[in-house]
Amino acid sequence: MKFLRKMLVLSACIAGAGWVSASLAADAPPQWGKAATAVLNKDAVCTKCHDESEKKPVLAIYQTKHGVKGDSRTPGCQSCHGESQNHLAQKGKTAPDVVFKKGAFTATETKVLNDACLSCHDKDAKRTHWEGGAHQTGDVACASCHEIHAAHDKVRDKKTQTEVCFTCHKEQRAQSHKISHHPIGEGKVVCSDCHNPHGSAGPKLLKKNTVNETCFTCHAEKRGPFLWEHQPVTEDCTNCHTPHGSNITPLLKSRTPFLCSECHDGPHHSKDPAAGSVTGTQGGLTAVPSENYTGRACMNCHSMVHGSNHPAGALLHR
Amino acid sequence: MKTVKDNFAVGTLSLAVRGALVAMFALPLAAHAADAANDEVAALTHPTNSVEIGVANVSQNSAKFGEYNGLNDSGASFVGNFDIRGGNAYDGAGGTTRWGVNGNDLGTTSRSLGGSVSNQGQWDLNIGYDELRHNISDTYQTPQQGSMGGNNFTFPANFGSINGAASPSARVLNATQLGAFHTEEVGTTRKNTSFGAGYTFNRQWSVQFDYNRLDQSGAKLIGTGSQGAIPLIGTGAPSALFGFHEANNIIMNPTSYKTDTFNLALNWVGDKGHLTGGYYGSIFRDDYNSLTWQSALANGPITCVGAGCFVTNTMSTAPDNSLHQLNLTGGYAFSPTTKLVGGLSYGRNTQNDSYASALMQPGGLPQSSLNGKVITTHADLKLTNQTAKDLVLSAGLKYNERDNRTASNAYDYYNIGRTNVAGIPNLTPYAGVNTPYSNKKTQLELAADYRLAKGQNLRLAYEREDIKRWCNNVVGGAQCVASPSSNEDKLGLTYRLKAREDVSLNAGYTYAKRNADFDHAFAADTGTYPQVNGGDRLGYVAYPYATRTQDLVKAGVNWQATDKLDLGLSARYANDDYDATLGVQDGRTKGINLDATYSYNENSSVSAYASWQNGERNLLNGNNGTATVAPTNIWSNQLKDDSNAIGISTRHRGLMGGKLEIIGDLSYSLDKSHYSTQVPYNLNCGLATTLTCGDTPDIKSELTTLKLTGNYKVDKSAKVALGYIYQKLSSSDYFYNAEQYGYTPNRVMPTNLQAPNYSVNVVTATYIYMFK
Repeated sequence: MKFLRKMLVLSACIAGAGWVSASLAADAPPQWGKAATAVLNKDAVCTKCHDESEKKPVLAIYQTKHGVKGDSRTPGCQSCHGESQNHLAQKGKTAPDVVFKKGAFTATETKVLNDACLSCHDKDAKRTHWEGGAHQTGDVACASCHEIHAAHDKVRDKKTQTEVCFTCHKEQRAQSHKISHHPIGEGKVVCSDCHNPHGSAGPKLLKKNTVNETCFTCHAEKRGPFLWEHQPVTEDCTNCHTPHGSNITPLLKSRTPFLCSECHDGPHHSKDPAAGSVTGTQGGLTAVPSENYTGRACMNCHSMVHGSNHPAGALLHR
Repeated sequence: MKTVKDNFAVGTLSLAVRGALVAMFALPLAAHAADAANDEVAALTHPTNSVEIGVANVSQNSAKFGEYNGLNDSGASFVGNFDIRGGNAYDGAGGTTRWGVNGNDLGTTSRSLGGSVSNQGQWDLNIGYDELRHNISDTYQTPQQGSMGGNNFTFPANFGSINGAASPSARVLNATQLGAFHTEEVGTTRKNTSFGAGYTFNRQWSVQFDYNRLDQSGAKLIGTGSQGAIPLIGTGAPSALFGFHEANNIIMNPTSYKTDTFNLALNWVGDKGHLTGGYYGSIFRDDYNSLTWQSALANGPITCVGAGCFVTNTMSTAPDNSLHQLNLTGGYAFSPTTKLVGGLSYGRNTQNDSYASALMQPGGLPQSSLNGKVITTHADLKLTNQTAKDLVLSAGLKYNERDNRTASNAYDYYNIGRTNVAGIPNLTPYAGVNTPYSNKKTQLELAADYRLAKGQNLRLAYEREDIKRWCNNVVGGAQCVASPSSNEDKLGLTYRLKAREDVSLNAGYTYAKRNADFDHAFAADTGTYPQVNGGDRLGYVAYPYATRTQDLVKAGVNWQATDKLDLGLSARYANDDYDATLGVQDGRTKGINLDATYSYNENSSVSAYASWQNGERNLLNGNNGTATVAPTNIWSNQLKDDSNAIGISTRHRGLMGGKLEIIGDLSYSLDKSHYSTQVPYNLNCGLATTLTCGDTPDIKSELTTLKLTGNYKVDKSAKVALGYIYQKLSSSDYFYNAEQYGYTPNRVMPTNLQAPNYSVNVVTATYIYMFK
């Protein structure tokens, strides 16, 4: 019932907003029609040849934001591809001024391609850090990821985004298949939930300023501050976790007690060697197994590794 | 890839298209009377709406298969998806309004719904709902009563006690106790409800607001140590320090959370610059502030009946907290080739949740809640310059600070395994001092990109990072951190070459050197072990705080061998060396990826990939004994990770006269983790009674997935789709050994958790109705 109610509310809101928008649109300035027609006539210089019979659906751009000619900011074909006078004069035998993807003609240099996009898109908070960012310096073109003419831009859809990112980020593709993973393959958590591919002030193109700030956007229960803090946790979640997938649940770099031994060798049991003893009786141990090494090992007791707010939690037990 | 037709002649059809487009935007009424070409154009320029309904059948229950996809239960479920869009922006006449509603996976617990409406260039609104059930386990068993998501777990009154001091094989659970064990399906559900709105005042000013409510329920499993007085086997009478031991229960820690997130941004855009001022707020609320459970593990074969047999324990849950952050980001172009960008953030993170009830405290508390406060500050500035034709320069500075201004106090407490329970001797409590950690990081980044020749670039980058760590005040003057500062220099060189139109290469090398100050005389004061080096052996350094040298090499090549065949190969090697007598010594990771795509015609392609990754970490540690470890008393541990993944996918469109599309995807991955420990000073370490040296079995998971989908277009407005998913997971993990009846460590309550293994088939059949 709760779900049904949400659906009804959602539908009502959209229907209401749609009605309001239609009413407001009716009052739109009349000159938009003229402007739209002018832009469209200019587009038609191209679309008289690049029509619906194109193998790539060129005209589907009119389904995208770039096709809303009533918005005076909307580009026409020439805004991105250049006036392409030679191309027109030679009836397509020579390349347009700007070619985004290699096909019949060689693709234009990446910087020129990106300048075409950035001439409109360089002045907003999301792209502030494009210059000097990893993708810009890696010679990645906007069109390497975005399909401008397609009605459905894969990289902007949660269900298909990883197909695009994994084209280059192959280690992350392999890691996403591991037994412990964020719901990346399921399309519920995608790259752009954590990363800003257009550049950021954070490490690894993270959307937030630090690793921890990024993780806390979904895991606010680990933000604290706690009465008893665990120092490496306050500094960087990736001291223990690996976000793209792990063989050790939950997204851990290593298994306890060995993980703990990377930072502790005392005064408790982390100074003691362990091997087959971690596998318990089934692994051939004839002595009684110890809870210090088996199962959750250290975390059988020190389970509050992200911090404890219990007055008796100094040792992260409580 | 071809975007230009071979035949460039302007035909009748093309003229019709041109006419149709003009008509569509300038003469909407006339569009209705356009010829057949107009319909084809309209098909491209207008959205295709779709409503998909059907049924899915899952062959078996599996929490792991359905971990995130909502298909954890066997049997039939509803399949529902829809995507409907409209608005006069699609109709022409300068219209700018668009709206859309969509829903996905409506029949599962991974459903989502969304809607948006916008008047492009003026305003936009969107709302959304997204649900995600994370299934954690369907094999967890517990004798304790209390529902998943609750915060109180008790035993049935007739459960009696369990001899926690007996070895598991000798410990016999009676029929009543065994009968109390029941299976719980453990998992958490996240429901996100969001709203967003934007308004553009004019070309210079706009505002955006986003709100999200995350509503979580359910639980995750957590280990707990109980207060009590259970002697170790063979230690005889309890002693003040080592005689008593904890009792462990794995219980369901509730995740009854609500997080409200607000984002408000005011944007200004000028001819040369832009600026965004914003507020980000995140308010977290937990319905509980503690988790209470009973332990039935007792100190000996006591015949006990009734609630008095059990020791009640409490631990904290995640405390309510909030973050309010002000942000400012912007950029200014001094010239077309010189640009300055930067940002400032100031955040205030507070937490003042009441402490959990004062069990385990011998006396009063210095305060009833933490009144914690952390101030986070961020600043960044980056200047880029491209004045020289072939040279791009950039210089950046970043500053991040976490200033924890929480008060430090002494808290007396009993460690687990000890008690203030009536009838059992109170042992000396500890006096712990909380140490609120602060740190700040400053980074300088310099880089130069030089174009050696057409298609050839060289990038040289230098980065300097300085970190400081401290505590603002620690009561009693206790020390705070072992490594108060570190700095790292990083130098990287990358070469890119576009050898030909169809071949590109890149190669890079990065060298980094971190120098860390480390105080081996540091003494952490948790009231238990205020010892030298925080209780660690002299010479031991935790790896995040160790002096380190790092080398990273990576290279890749992409080759479009023919018009139809693309090939890619990339490799990466990283080596870390730590300067520490004890602790992590070194680590290496290697990876190779191979990709190939063959497009045998415009409608059909097949892609394949293979990835291999390997990792290794080596650790030295000191044996139990003196503070300074003799070289002969050092043991080693090695971790090896191996990961292999291969996949092949294919897509065929346009079959059966353009009516049939088939998509296939097959993937396989195999992951193994393995530990090896060497203890040269102990010749008996490999005995079955000890097993402190030698190898562990592989932690192994093997996943095979086959997905097939076929869509058949019945007519212009209808499709039927059949889908099939087969997934098989084989995993083995010694982690689960200690959870089984009869095999737990003594003092540990079994849970019977099983390693996930499944072989699931899913068949879907749906009908898709499409309309304009």
